[in-house]
Amino acid sequence: MAVKRLQNYINGEWVDSTTDEFVEIINPARGELLCECPMSAKAELDSAVQAAQEAYPDWRNTPAVARARYLHRLIEVMEDNFNELSMVQTREHGKTIDESRGETRRGIEMVEVASGIPTSMQGFNLEDIAHGIDEYAIYQPLGVFSCIAPFNFPFMVPLWFLPFAIACGNTFLVKPSPRAPMSQNKLFEMLDDVGLPPGVVNLVNGGAEVADGCMEHPDMKGVTFVGSTPVARHIYQKCGETGKRVIAQAGAKNFIVIMPDAEIDKAMVSLISSFFGNAGQRCLAGANLLVVGDDKTYRNVVDKFVEAAAAITVGDGLDESVQMGPVQNAESKQRILKMMEKGLEEGAKLTLDGRKLKLVGDLPEDCFLNPSVFENVTPEMSLARDEIFGPVASVLRAKDLNEAIDIIHGVPFANSSAIFTNNGKWARQFQHDVIAGNVGINVGIVAPMAFFPFGGMKDSFFGVLHGQGRDVVRFFTESKIVITRWF
Amino acid sequence: MKLNTMAAVMSFVTRIEEDAASFYEECATQYPNMKDTLLSWSKENRKFEKDVKRTYFGVITDTLESNYAFEGLDTDDYVFETDVPEDTSKVAERAYEIEAKIKAFYLRAAELSEGLMADIPRLFRKIAKKRENRRIPV
Repeated sequence: MAVKRLQNYINGEWVDSTTDEFVEIINPARGELLCECPMSAKAELDSAVQAAQEAYPDWRNTPAVARARYLHRLIEVMEDNFNELSMVQTREHGKTIDESRGETRRGIEMVEVASGIPTSMQGFNLEDIAHGIDEYAIYQPLGVFSCIAPFNFPFMVPLWFLPFAIACGNTFLVKPSPRAPMSQNKLFEMLDDVGLPPGVVNLVNGGAEVADGCMEHPDMKGVTFVGSTPVARHIYQKCGETGKRVIAQAGAKNFIVIMPDAEIDKAMVSLISSFFGNAGQRCLAGANLLVVGDDKTYRNVVDKFVEAAAAITVGDGLDESVQMGPVQNAESKQRILKMMEKGLEEGAKLTLDGRKLKLVGDLPEDCFLNPSVFENVTPEMSLARDEIFGPVASVLRAKDLNEAIDIIHGVPFANSSAIFTNNGKWARQFQHDVIAGNVGINVGIVAPMAFFPFGGMKDSFFGVLHGQGRDVVRFFTESKIVITRWF
Repeated sequence: MKLNTMAAVMSFVTRIEEDAASFYEECATQYPNMKDTLLSWSKENRKFEKDVKRTYFGVITDTLESNYAFEGLDTDDYVFETDVPEDTSKVAERAYEIEAKIKAFYLRAAELSEGLMADIPRLFRKIAKKRENRRIPV
């Protein structure tokens, strides 16, 4: 049977790519070929941007409340297809079905919040700034925007941007990750179903050529991106040169600080979810477990953590008994293994060795790793500093909270940090002092809801305004000031 | 079988509510004197299952901790007999056994998911409480 080839969605039509270069999309748990993704050419991107540019004038003149109604319909269609959408994510990515359903829910929440645009896009005014003169600010859309999407949340991340962009009156283009493009394909089937005018949303599959095109095209007003720090930095620089707005959410190396008074038994589920959920492929994943306290505290925390990590069931995410799926592709596994080797060479101790596979079911091993825990990790080691993006935890120690915060600040990333404690003073100091875009207090995964901006600092974020919430509405609009006087 | 994920718990809810509902429907066919009560139970079982699923799909999040929250929940502890009894006097007894098992499951699952997704344990407890009033008129 012929393998399905994904199409692009341009100007309201599904079209075959003109390329002869395709990437095989493999289910990382089963090793089965799911489909082929075209690596579209720049001309195809140009055609999509042209369609989006042509659709823009009518779309921006469509009343906000009418634009929102398309999103209401999209929510209905997404709810009707909730389970199917979730299963696609598990197949293309490997995450467990619960994790995929969670991703679907988060995606829907973005559309729900964006559908409040008649309120959230409102400007403000002041009468009589001088005698008989009024001033007001209105927010207006800008034109065509795009999203260069990652593989780790292939369905949800474009929804941090797309519904807000079009709700504001812009038109939009998504370039899915060529590693996991299927759920975006499903999303665009739904967008087609709700009957948006042609050109308002467009999908162009591909790789660097399409991404570069987004950064270079003169009609593209802004680019949104979620992915690694080197690419985010490149996008930020490139879009600076071409004069585009940018949200570039980047890599991470998140710390979780355990204070001596932490309720470790209650915290354990949070910790394990944070470090090993989504097989560690989450920009908000715990990576460094930083234990503050004496030897007894340390041993108690680490023993319980290792015991819980070792008990995690690993296998195909569609198996409901499985708690952790594979990493998304074989190259990722090899990269993670190399980083683990480097950690060992640097002197860390591998207390729990996830290279020794223990899987639920008879599965190809190419993409699987069990959870790993390194001890004796020091702040200068690569295990403590570099993003691994896999199910590998590094355990560090600090004598007190001040030292813990210093250690956190020694790492170039600042996406999220969390503290587990019952002490309000410590919690307050941590929240106040720590440099991190998202801060958790007794929360393991500091994921902002759709109505808050998704933070990020230092090398974890490039830009000014963030995705989601009020920030993203401001990103997708320009403020225009009007001052009026009538004679 | 151990239930260690939210998805597995949801599938088990479907199984027990559906098995119990089918049992009540079969009993209602064989014992018309209990028909109204048993059919109302079976209808309510299906509503419970629908409510649980709706709540689950409504509150699940990508940052979920539910993959690791159900240690200690085993389907073997909640197995019940669904053969329709030959003797009318045994129907109520079997129905009460089923109800007791399902109630125990919901209460234990609520306990394990406490603080995880507030709506889920609240609904589990509500369903367990509603079952307390189930009595077959003599």
